[in-house]
Amino acid sequence: MTVAAAPLRFEQVPLGRASHSFTLEIPAHHTVAVLGDEDSGLGALGSYALGLDRPPAGRALTFETDVAALPEPARLAFRRRVGYLPAGEGLLQNLSLRDNIALPLRFGSGASPREIDGRVNVMLAAVRLAGAGQLRPAQANDEERRRAALARAIAFDPSLLVLEQPFDGLTARVASELLELARGGESAEGARRTIFITGQEIPPLLLRRVERVYRLTRAGALETETV
Amino acid sequence: MRAATQLTAAGRAVTVRIGINQVRFTAVNAVGLVTLLSGIMSFLVISQATRELGRIGATDLIGTLIVVAIVRELGPLITALVVAGRSGTAIAAELATNQVLGEVRALEGMGIDPKQYLVLPRFAGSLISMFTLLVVFDLVAVLAGYGATSLNGMSGTRYFDIILASLSYKDVWLTVLKALAFGFIVGVVPSYFGLAVRRAPTEIPIAASRAVVSAIVGIFLCSALFVALG
Repeated sequence: MTVAAAPLRFEQVPLGRASHSFTLEIPAHHTVAVLGDEDSGLGALGSYALGLDRPPAGRALTFETDVAALPEPARLAFRRRVGYLPAGEGLLQNLSLRDNIALPLRFGSGASPREIDGRVNVMLAAVRLAGAGQLRPAQANDEERRRAALARAIAFDPSLLVLEQPFDGLTARVASELLELARGGESAEGARRTIFITGQEIPPLLLRRVERVYRLTRAGALETETV
Repeated sequence: MRAATQLTAAGRAVTVRIGINQVRFTAVNAVGLVTLLSGIMSFLVISQATRELGRIGATDLIGTLIVVAIVRELGPLITALVVAGRSGTAIAAELATNQVLGEVRALEGMGIDPKQYLVLPRFAGSLISMFTLLVVFDLVAVLAGYGATSLNGMSGTRYFDIILASLSYKDVWLTVLKALAFGFIVGVVPSYFGLAVRRAPTEIPIAASRAVVSAIVGIFLCSALFVALG
């Protein structure tokens, strides 16, 4: 039996002002959360995974690829394989929630406008935003914005999702619903998607759906939390 | 240019829509201001010139004055200053806000090139707007000059004969080249300063101010270069 390579791996990566570096592997079909203080530098992990920043030492491998080392066009194309929900959602304020969800499809797929509209309608219904698609981010509430950002992250139906502070400010029920959407259903190996979550805390209700939880210490080491 | 060729059909449609909005703001909404500035300046200059040149019997020089001073030199310069002041600030502030709100990073994270989505349509919009506004400026200047000369007793036929006699192909292509060069500056410089902002909202007004000052300096330097080469 062959063991599939981990979709995401950090090798000897230091964070913030920490003295230690750590190695972490996110196995396929697993949901893994790394929690830590706001000033721990934890927020950089998502950027390293997508090649938006390069770690000061060590390397981040996404699908066995050091994304930051790719030439720019290849780097942009590669990122379409990974769903990304940045901290603060990163929704474009001058676009409706609907257009925000459609944006990656418009720029990153060869689909026709009709196909994109159809796909966006499905996404809006899936994240329960069918009635709020025309709202601008400033007109929507936290929950609607987070739902739209998640829909945008899974627009290409990626097998790997990187979520930064995805549940902050949400009720446990909504957080749980969003996590189920992010997992994309179940397969024989576990969740259909591999999910990497960074944040300060995770609602206890969600812990039974997260295979591994790590906490980043002030020294920059990772400690496993009991799930 | 490379960014434009790499776009998907749907991405191109989005970029064109943003470009049209940019032209609406930069060109269409500025037509009134450009018309006012061009009309008043041309009327004042040509009125004075017609009277003074009439005294020494050199009214034919009005053609040279309009073509060289207004159409070729002041027209592009004033139009570029209007575009830089109105739209350069807006472009820099908008892109800086995109940057501060984390939208640029989110675009990159989604695999969208911010140059394609944010810079390209504004750059193209600035080029088109600058060219369009310059045509408006020059037309209004010539018409205002006609108004000024007819008030001073010159016939319309004579006025337009003088203008056409003074106008050469070189004047036309120099004016077009200037429009493109100044449009390039107004499209690129504010975009650069807007995207150079990091995370602090306090950087936004600084970026807008630097963008406009740099664009204006660039426009004057470029204008001087045209005079030196032309």
